[in-house]
Amino acid sequence: MALRRRRASDSGHEGSHGIDLAPMLDFVINLLIFFIITAVFVKEAGLEVNRPTAFEQPQESDAESIQIQILDNGEIWVDNRAVDVRAVRANVERLSAVNPDSGVLILAQERAPTGVLVEVVDEVHLGGIYNITFSTTQ
Amino acid sequence: MHARRHAPESEDHGIDLAPMLDFTINLLIFFIITTSFIKEAGIEVFKPNATTAESRESGNLMIAIRENGDIWMDRRQIDIRDLRTQMERLHIERPDDTVVIVADRESNAGVVAEVMDEVRLAGIQIISIAADDPGG
Repeated sequence: MALRRRRASDSGHEGSHGIDLAPMLDFVINLLIFFIITAVFVKEAGLEVNRPTAFEQPQESDAESIQIQILDNGEIWVDNRAVDVRAVRANVERLSAVNPDSGVLILAQERAPTGVLVEVVDEVHLGGIYNITFSTTQ
Repeated sequence: MHARRHAPESEDHGIDLAPMLDFTINLLIFFIITTSFIKEAGIEVFKPNATTAESRESGNLMIAIRENGDIWMDRRQIDIRDLRTQMERLHIERPDDTVVIVADRESNAGVVAEVMDEVRLAGIQIISIAADDPGG
């Protein structure tokens, strides 16, 4: 009985002061500083391409897909003709009009520059095809 | 007169911390949410341009390829043969990571293909090639 009364009076005493916020505040501000320091605001824009796995080797005879070759020196070959990078889009549009659900297979030689590869992928995207498979040849 | 002037001071216990605390905790929550633990490659490369490049929210492991074929990841240069074990370790730690390959525009497509293969063998299926949007 006495204990209960004492407890009640104790809690009343604390209630008048409130919880001491200082340690919690210290902790929260430390957390805040940690997250501010570790935050990295990097957003990379990128292009997605498929890569054939070892199990699904690209079919050379696959008539469904439009083949684009990139040579070591950066030349681009579509449909057995060397074309400029700006003409890739037109060629892709023409070939996809013939065969609407075809994907694009980009065959790059080992030493072909990545810049050309990305430009070709970009042009194919502009031509309206997002199903791009990327493969390298010797 | 004297007593009245002192009355508010004696009631005042200090600055009211509650608004500051609210603000601080909001900031904290913001930083916790926006933190995505991106692992940067650690070097700058000349990225190719592409107008259709789209920024992915979740691309957070960056592998850079220099024009001479060096591969950089997490601020260190690593060998192509070590890449797979590294990626496997990271993939186990955070299974929904995605990879962005930041290749120099003069680098060889063969190296990009090898890196893509290694990353895929490590179990990460979502891979994109970084590009700059020339329009901004």
